[in-house]
This record gives sequence, C-alpha cells and structure tokens, in this order.
Amino acid sequence: MFSEQAAPTAQGLLAPPSAEPPTFPRVPVSGYSDCSQHFQLGERSFSRQYAHIYAVRLAGMRPGLEQRARSRWGNDIALRKLSELQAGEKCCVVGTLFKAMQLQPSILQEISEEHNLVPQPPLPKYIQPSDELILEDELQRIKLEGAIDVQRLVTGTILAVYGSEQDDGRFLVEDHCFADLPPPLPWNGPSSDRFVLLASGLGLGSVSGEALLSTQLLVDVVTGQLGAEGEQSCAAHITRVILAGNLLSQNTQSRDTINKAKYLTKKTQAASVEAVKMLDEILLQLCSSVPVDVMPGEFDPTNYTLPQQPLHRCMLPLASAYATLRLVTNPYQANLDGVRFLGTSGQNISDIFKYSSMDDYLEILEWTLLAGHISPTAPDTLGCYPFYKSDPFILTECPHVYFCGNAPHFQSKLFQGKEGQRVLLVTVPDFSATQTACLVNLRDLTCQPITFSGFGADSED
Amino acid sequence: MEQPRRITDSFPRRRRRGPGRPPGRLKDKKDKDKVQVKVKVKVQDCPHAPSQSPPDPALLEMLRRFDLSWEYGPCTGITRLQRWERAQELGLSPPGPIRDALLEHRDNPDVTYRWVWDGMGW
Repeated sequence: MFSEQAAPTAQGLLAPPSAEPPTFPRVPVSGYSDCSQHFQLGERSFSRQYAHIYAVRLAGMRPGLEQRARSRWGNDIALRKLSELQAGEKCCVVGTLFKAMQLQPSILQEISEEHNLVPQPPLPKYIQPSDELILEDELQRIKLEGAIDVQRLVTGTILAVYGSEQDDGRFLVEDHCFADLPPPLPWNGPSSDRFVLLASGLGLGSVSGEALLSTQLLVDVVTGQLGAEGEQSCAAHITRVILAGNLLSQNTQSRDTINKAKYLTKKTQAASVEAVKMLDEILLQLCSSVPVDVMPGEFDPTNYTLPQQPLHRCMLPLASAYATLRLVTNPYQANLDGVRFLGTSGQNISDIFKYSSMDDYLEILEWTLLAGHISPTAPDTLGCYPFYKSDPFILTECPHVYFCGNAPHFQSKLFQGKEGQRVLLVTVPDFSATQTACLVNLRDLTCQPITFSGFGADSED
Repeated sequence: MEQPRRITDSFPRRRRRGPGRPPGRLKDKKDKDKVQVKVKVKVQDCPHAPSQSPPDPALLEMLRRFDLSWEYGPCTGITRLQRWERAQELGLSPPGPIRDALLEHRDNPDVTYRWVWDGMGW
C-alpha cells in the first residue's frame, strides 16, 4: 500500500540529494461534489416539538421496512398496526423502538425536589438487566418480549417485528428485521491509486503538548516535506484530507469563567481562542498543499445539536483565504472522485455505545448501517434539531466509505451487502490519544493506519 | 352538539401585535385574579383588514378535522400548509381542497395556523 510503494522506489535519505530535485505534482482533483445540503440548516426555529421527527422517521422508513418484512417472512404475512392487533394472531408490526432504562439520565428526576437526590454522575454505560423494549407506532405502544436482544437495541430504531400478541398485552417476538442497507450506488472510482487521509480528534489547546509534534509530522507528510523521494511521491497521491471533528480538545471547554468571580476572570481569555489560532496555522500549512474538509466535533465552537453546522470562516482568517479549505457540516456526505463518503465526528456512535451493550465501535457502525439510520438515539439522548419535514439521518443511498471519528482505536472492515453493496467501514481513532490517522485508497477501498510518534522521555529505545 | 356560548362571541377580545413581530402564537396574559377565561384569541397581525371575506365556519371545521386526523402526523408547531405539504411528500395523499382553501385564505391566521384551543397549545 502506501509504505510499500515508497520503500523500493528512488533513493533513501542516506544518499546525497540528486542534482535536480524532482517535483511531484499532486494528483489533480477530478471529481468532487458536496452532498450534505440536507444537513445544512438555514433559519433555525426551535419552537417545535420532537414528535415531528419521530413521525417523519416512521413514515419515511415504513415502506422500505414493509418490503423487507415481506421478502423475509413471505408475501402473505399480515402487516398490522398496533390498534388492529388480535390476540394470538401472527402478524408483523412496523414501529419505533423505545427502551425504558432505569439509569437513563432524566432531567425531571434531577430537578425533582421531593426526592432530594444528587444528580447521577455520568456513567460509561447506562444499560441494566431490567431494561424493557416498547414498540410504538403512530397511535399506540406495546411491550416486547421474546427473541429480541433488549440490551443491544437503542431507542429510536425503526424495525419490523414478527410475532403475536399475548393475552397479558405484551407482544411475543419470534423474529425481527431492520431496514437493511439502502440500494447501492454505481461505482465510478478511480483506476489508479488515490488516497484520502482521515484524521480526527487533533485535540488542540490541551494542557499537554505531546500531540503537537505528531500533528506537525502529519502535516509534513501530507505536504511532502517528510521522507525521501519515495515517500514524497506517495504523498503526492493523497488527494484530500478530512478532519473528522474534535479539532479542539475537551480542555478548552472549561467553564471556570462562569463559576469564578468576575474580578478574577476579567483579563482571561477563553482557552478556545488560542486553540483556534493554532488550528488556523495548521490548516494554513495543509490548505496550501491539499484540499481539506473540516468537520466540527463535540468540543468545537459550533452548535451542539446534530447536524452541527460548519465552523465559521471568520475564526480561520489565514486558512480561509485558500479555496482548498472547505468547512463542512457534522454528518458529512460527499462524492470524492466518484466514491461516496459519509461520516460523522463520532457523537452518534458514542451515544449508542452508552445505551447499548455493544462495545465495539466498528460493530456499532455496522449496526447503524444495517438499521438504515445514522443516529437513531437522536433526539432522545443526543441533541438534535427539531426537523419536521424529513429526517435527514435516514440512509437513502448506500455510501462507499462510511466512517466515524474519535473512536478509541483504528478499525476497518469491508462490508458486503446482499444487493452487491460494498461499504468500507472505518473507525477513525482519536489523534491526540493514539497519534494515528487513516489512509483510504479509493481505487480498491482498502484502509491503512498511519501512526506518528516521537521518542518520549520515558521511551525504552 | 351546539357550540357553547362564550362572552367573546359578543365582545371579541382583540390582541394587538407589536410591529415587526413574526406571526405565531402570542403568550396568553393571565388575568389579575388568576381566573382563566375561556377565550378564543383573535390575532391581528397587520393594521389593514384582510380584503377577502372571512372564511365560513364549515371551512374552519374542515381544517380542524384535518388538524386532528392522525394519519398526517403531529399538527403542533407548524402551519397547516407545511403539514399538508409534508403529508404530500410522504405519499399520504392529503385531500386537495384543503390546500386550495389554505392558499385562498393565506392572509388569515385563523386559517393558516393550527387551531388553538383555549388560547394555549403549540
């Protein structure tokens, strides 16, 4: 792959430089189109309730699910609404899942004065064996039991269950199915090696500056200032860099200025100001050489609810002078050289991690693809804009590369769908913790990690 | 069942809207002695009266039935036209005459916004 191409070609660093230093032009950008228009919000109105987004999600995914149910359990199964159920009759119901969790943080419990409870500290996982699944459709809800994994599923998923209603009013599930992958997109990928660098969690503005050396090494590799001619010629095949969120570190989010007295905090500046200046300088170096797409993340100065809007270009005065800098939304979808990319900065996956028994980020990523929805837990436990017309997180077209940022480790898998879909699932690791970024080869949909590290004071070699 | 007679049938309560405010629900002002009066809040959103004739009660009844029918999704917080168009896009085939009525009485907020019950509701 990347390093294999570099090694045998040309001379190494131990030879004198060649008389005529060669130039390696970067591969030109042949096809780029941004497909995230439905994630961009124009005028925002928060005076709506969230019932609309759930109603639209169910209405939008219902036809596809009914088709899946018919193909799975036979064409002649009875598709019923909950109000039409009869006890004992085997039928199929399509609805939204709700998981009643005892440990789920509830604002009502926190502000309830009768209980005098201390608010619950944040836990890594909020699941408990006593959780229950309830299926809701437009009018009614019913408790589910049977062949369904309560711990694994999360609120907000749309699914079809097959079974019968019992006498005690619960629904006994014999089988269930999700929306499954959407229809595949035609493949127009490049015929030669082209790489896209995915990195996330740069974590600028943190207290320790260890990751800064690795960040600078990353920038130097991409701009071709590192390595011998072999590495430089390989770096010229990188067509794009996507920064998937958390460019600023969590330390910049400290709210001390609110709690301390005004006379102590008068002259202090928010930590994010310095961090954004650093980000601007790094982006300046990158943008002068390669197109960069910057996605906001959980700790970045943009709105909190999904879909996060692009960072404002006034924060990056030096870098936004270049047309190669593109500030994009948080779930980001684009066609790069004929390959459809879709990805988030990881908030959706980490939220599902908290409310489900699934531990592996790649497994959760694959599950969201099979469930047909990028983040089913929005708006229940993940902040979301109150859409009313359509739910933009429903997967309508199958991407070729589906990534999530800020994962604990790097993982990738080529997923084959039943209708010929090929999806490369990539969990991009947090760069400030792992110093690892990913290189995706667009020609054959393979992914390779690339790690930068310096020798620390406590290193053994 | 006939409509209950209210004091506001004879003495309609008019709310004055400030200039430049976007159309929408006005917060209900509670009476001084905390008595909740059942009023139908009439909203005036511009100084000049609408030029068309006021919509007849049968039309308003039809629109109210459109609001309360569950097939087209929740009705709170969005205008009736937005709800109609959303139902159309989702393939739920909402009745056409409703849209014609909504476009015909575009200036009348009683028609375009959701039917408000007891002055509250969103």
